[in-house]
Amino acid sequence: MPPELLPRPRLGPPPPPRAPRPERWTLSNGLRVLAAPRAGLPQVVLRLVIPAGSSADPAEFPGTASLVGSLLTEGTRSRQADAFSTQIDRLGACIGAHVGHDLAAVEMVLLADTLAPGLELLADAMVYPAFRAGETERVRAETLDGILARADEPANVADDRAAEEIFGPVHPYGQPVWGSAEAVTAVSAEVLRQFHQVHYRPEGSFLVASGEFDPGELARILKREFAGWHGTASRPAVPVPDSLPRAAGRRVSLAWGDATQAEIRVAGVGLARKSPDWIPAAVANYILGGSTITSRLGANLREEKGWTYGIHSSFADGFQPAGWGVETSVDIEVADDALDEIHRELLRVTQELVRPEELRRAKDALILSLPRAFETPGGVASRLATLEVHALPQDYWERLPARIEAVSADDVQQIAAEHFAPERLVSVVVGHTGEGA
Amino acid sequence: MIATLLTSQTRTLRNGMRVVVHEDRTSPVVAVHLMYHVGSRHERPGRTGLAHLLEHLLFEGTEHAPKGTFDDLLERVGGSNNGSTWLDRTCYHETVPTHAVELALWLERDRMAFFLPALNETILNTQRSVVINERLEAYENRPYGLADERLHQMLFPPEHPYSWPTIGYTRDLEAITLADTRSFYQRYYVPSNAVLVLAGDLAADPAFALAERFFGDLPSARPPAQASTADPGFPAERRDSMSDEVSFPRVYRAYAVPAYGTPEWVALDVLAYVLADGESSRLQRALVREGRLAQDVDSYLYPTERAAVFGIVATARSGVSPEMLEAALDAVLVEVLEKGVDSAELAGAVRRAQRDQIAELATVESRAEELAYATLVLGSAGALAEMLELYTAVTPEGVRRVLGEYLVAKRSVTLIVVPAERQRAQHAA
Repeated sequence: MPPELLPRPRLGPPPPPRAPRPERWTLSNGLRVLAAPRAGLPQVVLRLVIPAGSSADPAEFPGTASLVGSLLTEGTRSRQADAFSTQIDRLGACIGAHVGHDLAAVEMVLLADTLAPGLELLADAMVYPAFRAGETERVRAETLDGILARADEPANVADDRAAEEIFGPVHPYGQPVWGSAEAVTAVSAEVLRQFHQVHYRPEGSFLVASGEFDPGELARILKREFAGWHGTASRPAVPVPDSLPRAAGRRVSLAWGDATQAEIRVAGVGLARKSPDWIPAAVANYILGGSTITSRLGANLREEKGWTYGIHSSFADGFQPAGWGVETSVDIEVADDALDEIHRELLRVTQELVRPEELRRAKDALILSLPRAFETPGGVASRLATLEVHALPQDYWERLPARIEAVSADDVQQIAAEHFAPERLVSVVVGHTGEGA
Repeated sequence: MIATLLTSQTRTLRNGMRVVVHEDRTSPVVAVHLMYHVGSRHERPGRTGLAHLLEHLLFEGTEHAPKGTFDDLLERVGGSNNGSTWLDRTCYHETVPTHAVELALWLERDRMAFFLPALNETILNTQRSVVINERLEAYENRPYGLADERLHQMLFPPEHPYSWPTIGYTRDLEAITLADTRSFYQRYYVPSNAVLVLAGDLAADPAFALAERFFGDLPSARPPAQASTADPGFPAERRDSMSDEVSFPRVYRAYAVPAYGTPEWVALDVLAYVLADGESSRLQRALVREGRLAQDVDSYLYPTERAAVFGIVATARSGVSPEMLEAALDAVLVEVLEKGVDSAELAGAVRRAQRDQIAELATVESRAEELAYATLVLGSAGALAEMLELYTAVTPEGVRRVLGEYLVAKRSVTLIVVPAERQRAQHAA
């Protein structure tokens, strides 16, 4: 006998998200601390955020911030590079800097029983990096090779070109954080030291700790290990970018050998993370391209046409309006059709109000997925860092569901008109020689 | 330390489906993971890629949840879902807020019992195209993207099912018929060939009751035979080179080694950390930091069922030949073999392995996957914690022994990827 159809389950009320409220304090040197302890997983994630992104690069040496980030963990005044990495590795820890346009973040992941020795190494790297010649030259050479290797991948070429088209050759958001080969070759160790001296300061920076630890113990260790760190880091003034790319409405095509796929980006200027429009924009983006299967772009180009494995759109977050864009790669034969279809979807969301059920679905997806955002120590650390970086209110995550709920179809259309209209966007196609309009 | 993260209970339904429950109330989230003991290993030559293409088809609707419904329903309740196919298994998983666990189970029930009526030629052709695009995007149009495929062809004899890629060859993908997908589904998508894991914010008894409600009435079918695979044998030091549109040569070295879960596999995993995880590891030090021959070096060990693959990959720096890089790599292996590792170095490697294991177990979704895989491949969910305990028992001598026994020339294959003459991107319009 075949199995019978069971009725689709009727679900009870959803669980409320449990967004942790961290303990907050400030060290006497001005370093802010956010601590979100939670037992269970024997892991601690530490994230130290410093206003030392590429927007603080000296004008003649783009790539300085990135090199400094890489060199933090390459030896300190009291430890040769080899001794430093051996100690990290023996703890079973890992540490690395991620340098973005606005900020640098040093992240360390520790086993829970190594908090004190781990923090001692983190503080040493932050406060006393040595920038010795041997390590500096090696990291410089690796960075130069990395710049060459990056250009081997059409997806990277498309991303970098789109950023340059949106923000132009001067604004930091238009430039890669790793800088140019010329500047990386030329920048001296003294410039790197100077950059560290000016920007890696406790006041203006903050540390997030998430995972299995005792906040009292954390406070004691931080006080001890960061005692020798002083001074104020000023946040680099990132200029407001032009709201329209110079090549808005145009298409840039880049040939690529015998490419089998075309990498497509359709991109323009988005929103600052602290903008009050950020939440309606998240809803609008979800409807258009936030989910590769169910959003309009994915439902059309992947699920209906089968032209691509994936297509997404997203807003990048920044102090200033960063990019918004659609990205996909498609079979080279359909590159023109795919670009037309993307433009058709962009026009549609700009010109017609979204249907109520579509809006409902986007809100439910965004609100009800919040519990998953706080599942891991790393996830908690990321979300707390976002609040602190952009000076968002402490009850941000608790109030978020109501704010999403308040978004209307008119709000979505307004966001679409401001950010998704094809005449405001540049299309970049890598792997295709077709003439663009 | 890690075993407590993995406490679980297992029961078997009358139709042979195994159900594993892992309770963790930290977040109001439940992972539903359904893993079938079928992967590209169960395909035949000429129809490679069938298991993965079928996985795509199973997202295209079932009798009561037509095309588009699956993702739509799950996203509306705040859930995420995905699937994946590899050499030995195919899995489908949903992570949902606690209130929506029954919806995920209802959908998976439809996938297991009511899929074939919804399958048609249009769906097959669309997803065939999506998968061919996935192959282009993930492999063919990516630097070094086809190296792993070539490495497996070299490492395993042509009749061995690990010799072909899970994504499949394009010519085979083009040849797959509706009848192929139907018979593959009928053979492998039966309760006795599946493990269901419920992990997260729910207690064991209600979880088992839910499993019984949604899957207990599905008809039983004999589990498909898991055909024995030929011994991979010794590839006898095969070498090859291929050109690619890249700036730097890359050396790939791989060995066929004992399967996932064996004590040898655990010792080899620790060896992989000794060799290339962390800036102070042997290969990082010799090839990157001191030798300055490589931009990067990595080692890996596949957790596969019939044999595992131990790999080392290094990318040359400007001006360094692949021969120099390979010679330096071999010198490190010889040094570790002759002089061994010291106990502090070993302890660090074990701790780094544990660091990654803990990170991998951070979500209920990944815990569910690990428990399902252990149930299928190691025979029980509990075997996972037992295997993880083996890491603390690995000795310097044990690491040296597996190096001497398995990372030897007659078991090795070496592939060199060299830069092709190519045309760079040019601004054309």
